[in-house]
Parts: sequence; structure tokens; C-alpha cells
Amino acid sequence: MAVLECKDLTKHYGSAPALTHVNLTIEPGRIVGLLGPNGSGKTTLIKLANGLLTPSEGEVLVCDMVPGKESHACVSYLPERTCIPTWMSVKQLLDFYGDFYRDFNRKAAEEMLQHLNIRLTQRIKQMSKGNREKVQLIMVMSRAAKLYLLDEPIGGVDPATRDYILSTIITNYNPEAAVIISTHLIADVEKVLDEVIFINQGQVVLQSSVDEIREEKGMSVDALFREVFKC
Amino acid sequence: MLTKLLKHEFRATARIMGPLYLVLLAVALGFNFSARLMDTSNVVLNILAALVILAYVAAIIGVFIVAFILMLQRFYKNLLGDEGYIMFTLPASVHQHVWSKLIVSAVWFIATGVVVILSAFVAAFNVSFLTDLAGIFPKLFQQLNAYYAVNGTAFLMEFMVLMLAACMSFSLQFYAALAVGHSFANHKMAMSVVFFFVFQFVMQMASGILLISLDNGVVQRLLASMDFHFTGVAAMHVAMLGMIVLTVLYGAVFYIVTTITLKKRLNLE
Amino acid sequence: MKWQFSNDAPIYSQLIAQIKVGIVTGAFPPGERLPSVRDLATEAGVNPNTMQRALTELERDGLVYSQRTTGRFVTEDQAMIASAKRSLAERHIQAFLEAMTHLGYDREEILTLLRQEESKGGEDNGSSGV
Repeated sequence: MAVLECKDLTKHYGSAPALTHVNLTIEPGRIVGLLGPNGSGKTTLIKLANGLLTPSEGEVLVCDMVPGKESHACVSYLPERTCIPTWMSVKQLLDFYGDFYRDFNRKAAEEMLQHLNIRLTQRIKQMSKGNREKVQLIMVMSRAAKLYLLDEPIGGVDPATRDYILSTIITNYNPEAAVIISTHLIADVEKVLDEVIFINQGQVVLQSSVDEIREEKGMSVDALFREVFKC
Repeated sequence: MLTKLLKHEFRATARIMGPLYLVLLAVALGFNFSARLMDTSNVVLNILAALVILAYVAAIIGVFIVAFILMLQRFYKNLLGDEGYIMFTLPASVHQHVWSKLIVSAVWFIATGVVVILSAFVAAFNVSFLTDLAGIFPKLFQQLNAYYAVNGTAFLMEFMVLMLAACMSFSLQFYAALAVGHSFANHKMAMSVVFFFVFQFVMQMASGILLISLDNGVVQRLLASMDFHFTGVAAMHVAMLGMIVLTVLYGAVFYIVTTITLKKRLNLE
Repeated sequence: MKWQFSNDAPIYSQLIAQIKVGIVTGAFPPGERLPSVRDLATEAGVNPNTMQRALTELERDGLVYSQRTTGRFVTEDQAMIASAKRSLAERHIQAFLEAMTHLGYDREEILTLLRQEESKGGEDNGSSGV
């Protein structure tokens, strides 16, 4: 069963098209890179899957459901920017996720936090930007969701944090779940991905496995990306 | 899910309202002491006492203003700001979100009223002329009951319900304006303000039309044909109930506008 | 173990090569249990499915065998490890020769150069000589 399915998915803001006739199927057990330049429609696609936007045409199905209250229970979403309430302490944030998501593994989250030397009494407000992003990622990855939608998880963080984020994604890999990582920093994520989807001006231009690309074209996905999207 | 939303909404708001209530009660206590000192002829003490009284009045106004701002801020910051990404991807419906905000802000409005009354008791405790003054109200209440044969309790209940409905409708008008304003790509706050006044205008027009149609035409004939006969007290109850129904309707319109906008036209930055 | 990847070859084949090196050099000693797929993937910073694919391939070659309940082990067959070592060496030599030919040396010149390097007697002459 596909965890994400787009059928002829189209979204325009006013008259400006953001996505046009996107058809996609993502199977469980895969880590997929949603790759495209800025403004190509990556965030729009992820927002549609999260029900934060409504499609103009076509449909998007998450675990066979139209995005809504029920589908949210099986999707773990990392938004483009950190948006956990800053007044909360880490403990309150754990309460929050634990209360709302049945699949939240509080113990796993606490272990990861401890590993980073983040105390439970610490307030989000007092944390550095990097730590806030890490805390939010920990909350997102501590759920046993069916679909993880990570919007630019490694944009705007230092290389050490980037490594930490990617290794957290790998360690939490679950063969029954799919992970979608949207980014334009391809060289960094390439090794972590099974599959890549190239998206440009709201259209899917390529969907292929990373090693297929390397085998057939004899170049890295990053190099192919630079070739496809040459300005 | 609604109970969980309510729990966390209270958690987020109590940390502000709780301390504020304590401050209000503390100032009321100060007022109490000052009121006793007023009798002395020491000028400095008198000025001091006057200042405390001023502070008490300011605290009462302040608490109401904060309760109001909190109602607004929780809605636009938690749902329409960055935190909206987290809130709208919780396994909860838009209706549950709106109700949780609405119930919690109504509770704080009521709690603020109660605490202000409580603080008045604290302020007046054992201050002879104030207790005398306070003693008048129950008597007045009894007198009214006896004289006009009004059922004071029922009237009071109706008044409370009306106040509650008014609080919620009032909040909903702001929610609707914020939701619609924030569905635009730019100038979200400015658009929210504009829409608040647009709604205000539309509702005034609507109620004006309603009044006119009550006065002449179909509705009036309908009412006349139903042949109501109310006198005195009964008429007062009917008027109260009518006002409650209208207030609820007023709120319901904005509830629908708010939820539909959040469902169909959500546009987080 | 240090994992490094180039951009031109599939990741799974690079993983195979590097695990082979690990086995030959003793980083993964004969008969030893290998870390789990997830741990290896985390260590190498690669996709777990890709790591799985590499290990399956190594299993097919016989360098690694799996026991249903306890996991994957490095082969104890020394002859097989030696032949793996040999084939790795051959690949290095092949690459070396190609590079030298590209620079314009013929076989004789290459051998002469190698001997000269050898007679310098430095510790850095490496172990790549056959």
C-alpha cells in the first residue's frame, strides 16, 4: 500500500501555478529525496499532503486518506522552519507530543535529548537556533509514523548539525514507513536516499533510484541535478 | 481530542492569567489597608493611599485588557503564526481548534469577572463604609424581588447566559476577522483589521434590516397573527431570551466564517 | 572504519569494496559478527536499504554469511579472503597502470620507476608491490 499518492495534483495561488498535474506514488520502506530549486513546488506539495493547503485540482492521499484529522495521526511533519512554541520547557513539549500522538515514543525522545545534553527543564526560548531545530527533529523522529515529511531539514544548519540530523533519520529508519526529505542541498543527502524525485516549476521531471542514476549516467545525483537545472 | 487541546490551551494561558490575578488580589489587599488609613490626617499617607486606590483601578482595567489581548494573541499566534504548522497538523479538527480557543477565552473572561468581584471583597473587607455600601445590594435585590415580583434569580441567570454568549460572539467576530485577514498572502494583520470593521458594518446593516422588517411587513404580521400576550415580567423574560438567541446567532455566523476559512483558505506564511 | 564515497560509482558497489577492504585488513576479522545493517548504515551515513543490498551481494560472493537468528558473520575461509585481497590488489594495479599509461609511460619505464622508488628504501614505498 502506498503511503503517499498524488493523482493529477494541481495547486495554484490565484493565477500563479505552484504544482501542475503531479502524479506520484511513494511506497513504505523508502527514503525519498524531493529535490528541486527554490520555488519549484516542494513545500507546496508537502503542505498539500499535510492538509495545510487544499488542492485546486486532483487529489493527494496519505495512507489512503484525504489529508485531515485522521491522516495527521500517521504523518510526522517537520516544517520548513522551527515552530515549536518557545514558551514551553522541553518537558512540556514532550507532554504535548505525548498527549496528541499515540505513536510518540517518549523514552526514545528523552534518550536522544540526553545524548545532546539538553535538560528537560530548559525552555525552548533559551536555546540556540541549532538546538531548537534538533529538539523539533527529535520530536518528529520519535514518532512511529507511516510517513515522515521533512521540509528542508538540513537547510540553514551547520555541518555538524547536518550530520546529526541525517544520522538521526537513518537510525530511526523503519521498513514500514516512508521518509520524504525535501531539500536543495543534494550532495549532503544523496547517500541517505533510496530514491529521488526532481521537481521543477511545479512538475515532476524525474523519479529514479540513486544507484540507478549513478549506474546509468555515471554521475552523482548532485551532478545530474546541476545538469538538469542548469541556469 | 478537545479535552487535550483544552488542557494545553489552559496551560499556555494560565501562566499569564494566574500571576495577574495574584497581582490584582495583592493590590486589592493594599487598597484595603489604604482605605483604613484614609481616616488619618497624615498628608503623605493620604497621598500614598490615593495612589494605591489608583493602582487598584488600573489593575482591574489591566486584567480585562490582558484577558482580551490574550484571546486575540492565542488565536493568531498559535493558529495563524508559525505555531499553526504544528497545531493544524495535530490529529484534531478545525472545529475542535476553534472551540478550544473559544472555551478557554470565555473561561478567562468569566474568571476575570469573578476575580475582580473577589478582589472587591478583599478591598472592602472590614472597611466600615464600604461594607455598609456592599450590604445595600442584597437588600436592594430582595426589595426588587418583593416589589416588582420579579424572579431575581431567573433574571440573573438569563443575564449571565447573555453575558457568556456575548463574550463568545465577541471573540468569534475577532477570530473570523483574523482568519479571513490571514488568508491573504500579504498585509495579513492590516487585512484582519479591515475585515473586522467590514464584519461590524455588515452585521449592523443586517440588524438594521431585521429591525425594520420587524416593524412592518411580513414578520410583524406573523408575530401579530401568533397573538402573543405578554405583560410586565413575562415580557422582560422574552426580551432577555430574544437577546440571547440573537447573540448566539451573531456568534454562529462568525463561527461558520472562521471554520470555513481555516479549512479551505488556510494560508500559513 | 572510515567510509568515503566518490561521485561516479553506485553507492552500493562502493560499500561492497570498502567492506571487502575491511575484511582483508582485519577491521572485520574472520568469523566475527558484523554490526547490524542499521548500525553499519548509520556509521557509513548511507541509506539502510543500500547497505542491505551491499551485504546481500557480499553474501552471494561468500565473503559474508548469515545465520538466521544471530546475524551476519565474516567468512572463516582464509583462501576466500586471500583471493578477495588479491582481486582488490589487481584492481589497484590496474588503476595505477592505466594512470601511468595515460601519462605516457610504457611498461618498461613503469617497472624501472618502481624499482627506483624501491631502492630509495623509504618506509613509504607501501605494500602495493606484487
